[in-house]
Amino acid sequence: MIARPPRVRRAVVVRLAGWSALEAGQTFLLGYALARALDAGFLAGDARTGLWWLAVAAGGVGAGAYGTRRVYGVVADLVEPVRDSLVAGVVARGVREADRGALSGLTQQVEIARDTLAGLVLVSRSFVFTVVGALTGLCALAPPLLLVVLPPLLAGLGLFAATLRPLARRQEAFLVADEALAAELGEVCPGLRDITAAGAEAQVAARVGEGVDAEFRAARALARWSVVRVAALAVGGRLPLVLLLAAAPWLLAHGVTAGALVGALAYVTQSLLPALQNLVHGLGTGGARLTVVLRRLRPPPVPGPPPEPAAEAAAGAPALSLAAVTFAYGPASTAVLDALDLVVPHGGHLAVVGPSGIGKSTLTAVAAGLLHPAHGAVRVCGHPVPGARAAAERVLIPQEAYVHTGTLAENLGLLRPGPVPLPELLAAAEAVGLTPLLERLGGPEAPVRPAALSAGERQLIALTRAYLSPAPLALLDEATCHLDAEAEARAEQAFTRRPGGTLVVVAHRIDSARRARRILVLDGSRTAYGTHEDLLRACALYRDLAAPGSAAASQPPLAL
Amino acid sequence: MARPPHRDPMRTALRHAGARCAALCLVSTAATAAGLLLPAVLGRALDLLLAGAPATAWVVRAAALVLLSALLDGCAGVLAGTADARATAGLRKLLTGQVLALGPRAGNRFGAGDLVARLVGNAAQAGTGPAALAALLAALAGPVGGVVALALLDPWLAAVFLAGAPVLALLLRAFTRDTAECVAAYQREQARIAAALAEAAEGHRTIAAAGLQDRETKRVLRPLPDLARAGHRMWRVQGRAAAQAVTVGPLLQLAVVAVAGLLLSRHRISVGEVLAASRYAVLATGVGVLVGQLAAATRARASARRLGEVLALPAPAHGDRPLPPGPGRLELRGVTARRGERTVLDRVDLTVPGGTALAVVGRSGTGKSLLAGLAGRLADPDAGEVLLDGVPLPDLPHDVLRRSVTCAFARPALLGTTVEDTIALGLATPSYAEVRAAAGKAQADAYIRRLPGGYTTRLSDAPCSGGESQRLGLARAFAHPGRLLILDDALSSLDTVTEHRVAEALLAPGPTRFIVAHRASTAARADAVAWLDGGRVRAVGTHAELWRDPEYRAVFAARAAERTAR
Repeated sequence: MIARPPRVRRAVVVRLAGWSALEAGQTFLLGYALARALDAGFLAGDARTGLWWLAVAAGGVGAGAYGTRRVYGVVADLVEPVRDSLVAGVVARGVREADRGALSGLTQQVEIARDTLAGLVLVSRSFVFTVVGALTGLCALAPPLLLVVLPPLLAGLGLFAATLRPLARRQEAFLVADEALAAELGEVCPGLRDITAAGAEAQVAARVGEGVDAEFRAARALARWSVVRVAALAVGGRLPLVLLLAAAPWLLAHGVTAGALVGALAYVTQSLLPALQNLVHGLGTGGARLTVVLRRLRPPPVPGPPPEPAAEAAAGAPALSLAAVTFAYGPASTAVLDALDLVVPHGGHLAVVGPSGIGKSTLTAVAAGLLHPAHGAVRVCGHPVPGARAAAERVLIPQEAYVHTGTLAENLGLLRPGPVPLPELLAAAEAVGLTPLLERLGGPEAPVRPAALSAGERQLIALTRAYLSPAPLALLDEATCHLDAEAEARAEQAFTRRPGGTLVVVAHRIDSARRARRILVLDGSRTAYGTHEDLLRACALYRDLAAPGSAAASQPPLAL
Repeated sequence: MARPPHRDPMRTALRHAGARCAALCLVSTAATAAGLLLPAVLGRALDLLLAGAPATAWVVRAAALVLLSALLDGCAGVLAGTADARATAGLRKLLTGQVLALGPRAGNRFGAGDLVARLVGNAAQAGTGPAALAALLAALAGPVGGVVALALLDPWLAAVFLAGAPVLALLLRAFTRDTAECVAAYQREQARIAAALAEAAEGHRTIAAAGLQDRETKRVLRPLPDLARAGHRMWRVQGRAAAQAVTVGPLLQLAVVAVAGLLLSRHRISVGEVLAASRYAVLATGVGVLVGQLAAATRARASARRLGEVLALPAPAHGDRPLPPGPGRLELRGVTARRGERTVLDRVDLTVPGGTALAVVGRSGTGKSLLAGLAGRLADPDAGEVLLDGVPLPDLPHDVLRRSVTCAFARPALLGTTVEDTIALGLATPSYAEVRAAAGKAQADAYIRRLPGGYTTRLSDAPCSGGESQRLGLARAFAHPGRLLILDDALSSLDTVTEHRVAEALLAPGPTRFIVAHRASTAARADAVAWLDGGRVRAVGTHAELWRDPEYRAVFAARAAERTAR
């Protein structure tokens, strides 16, 4: 499951066994001392010896407790590294896939896995060492006792082992049904207003009812299978009691003393039965729970690096070129980009406009190599996309600005291999319009808490970071949507004045398009391309976008 | 108006699991009784065997008791498990029905997350209530029977046990350290990682675009060693507590055995009785089980109380008056609505003639959404009434009401498995053509057809921006053609072109439209505008008429300023 150096694991197991041996000693003493206390003490009329043996047993209890205490420390050494690697896996997945579920995985499922794994280790280890202690004690009292106790114990264990798998399947089915129901309700409860409005109460009640029934059936099946545990306990833990009594005449005839018989009965009722009980309950539920949770936490396959086509960059290639690029999200769905040709020269400034959901973001993602077109070729500065060299030549700033807890300088230098020289950093802040925020926060080394920033402030940080990136091509995907018109203009102008800089911006306001040298209008299958004036003349959609028919009080956003 | 909802959740649970619980009570008590008899029988058999006397009858009795208690345990396990499952399922269905009947009222009162917790966790816990109560007698019988049996063997044995139990318990309790502090430290480190992960998940596009996955993963994991340290400390503290817990029982039992041994050496009891005494001491320490069982019953009771809070809310009732044919005239008469202490809407009178469009405008917090909710009967007014073509909304049967009135919202909840499901929500017999036509009218068709699976794309696979989910919500409303259409800021996230196209569809003659609007352009397109201010209708007129009032114009300026600030 988790790769760890075998030597470490062996050392931990040895320590676990060592401390557990103290518990085995306690088990051994409980029966053995009782037998000796009776035989050599109370039955022999020597009460003092009897009490002495019981005191030894009490000492054993103390030593066993100390062992228990140390066992927890060792269990920590076993469980905590597993937890560490689970957390690392969850975090890696969360960062890679933006999976919000990773958060619940981190706080809940990892903890369930940690507790369950520890529980399994504790229970199975306790069973093994209790059984070893009890069997050793039986052997020490009188070996024939083993002949009576061992066979049913093994039979009970066998019965349990044989049913472990179907039992685990039921347990898993129950957990899955329970989670499905919780997920369903988690969707229904925030949508009650919409359910009422649509009159869908009966429809939703039926759906939830199905989930409730499925969970009920799984719980009932699980409850019925609990009989198996009782049967395994009866055979392994209770049958030896009856057998000891039935075989008593024979045992007594073969040199087993009265004390030894009482000791054997004590071993069975006080040690073996409870240990078996804990094992049967712990393994039956814990194992399945752990399996389910680990499956959910299983790290996703890490995609290999994208293939690097060997093609060389052509000299004097444009900053961005798309040749007959076709992209669709699914084989059956309408193409978002249909045989699109586009060239943005070095130092160029292109704005992309169109109704929301039409594929503007898709275009930037394709240009950045995050989405792969079905047909056509994308090149950045002549380097084929996707590819490491093309990726080094462009920077994409999405709508959701990424700011992490840390210093402002750390955040701004995220796309740079090393720290950014202070003058360069301050100049960039000034160019993009970050200076007021930088001063308010207390300089580049001031700590930044993303939650304390407004969406616009976060966008300013992301924009300055991109400005400081060594990549010449900047792709702004509505990266200024939370800025006011002036701040947006200033940030965009900073990018157009960046030495050697090329700018492609998904326009949020029509002003943004007006500033661009060229404009691409996306409208489903049709596209239009040209300057602001060209498009006002030739493109009806652009006219609508640029001059909405109604007298709106404020300049409404093009898209959100 | 409201039907008496007084339904005790515990009674419901008992109704679903009653017979099983009665059987469980009998079976588990019988199992405890068998368990209490067994040591005595074992002791007797042992004494006879040691004496070389014929003991077959007693050995058979012991075997029968062992077999019986195994059978009873098996039955009790199945009964308890199935009783829990039945009661839980019954409670969940009852509660789901109530929550759906309450609709948004339940969400407003408790919050969605809390409702889920009640339906999932509390219902399951309350479901264990009947079985926990049924097993309480048996759990009580065990330790009490153990002490009584010790007393019957010899009063000294019971005396030692009763004297030793509190002393030992107190002694060991003194060593128990508070674990809360180290749990808090652990959770603090966990929260640090979770917070960093949440930030990174938020910025995943930036991270993916820049290829920073490994670097950012490392950064998020920076507190991991601290977490591990806190984790180790937690185990150490737990180990100390566990060590103390495992000493109490055996030490008490040894004390009883020591006294029994002394009594044996004075020939006051037999060897078999020593064995029995040691076993009864163990049964008597089963007080822990009783305490656990009591705690479970208490938890179940507390959970049931939380379910009771939801069940106690009066659900809106529906009448059976038919809706006469009509154009969909909406009338609000003296409508007052309070939220807590605050009167949000104060005796509002408003009439929307059938087939016309009314825009409702006003500063934020003036109760526009609440008014829309009252018009759509998502809530009932505290005073006054809302009528559709002359019939008060509560007099209409549920199905007639929902067929006649449809709503779309600023942030629709997208329910169902696929995009198609969410548009067809609530339709008895949805057809693909209808769904597609509605999506077309809401300008969502082009967007949906670009999704990986078109209309059958799973919602979880459909990236939805605010504007896109708004269009799905509009499509859902358009798929339910009624005589009154309520749009609660439902166009606010659309770009101007899309808004224009949707508005064209809305302008076509059709149902009465009640439109909560934030944009002047929307208000300008409506037949009339109701200007809401301070919980009252300040003026009704056309947009052009009202526009002359600078305060009216200020409403839109304020909205624009708010948007930029956000």
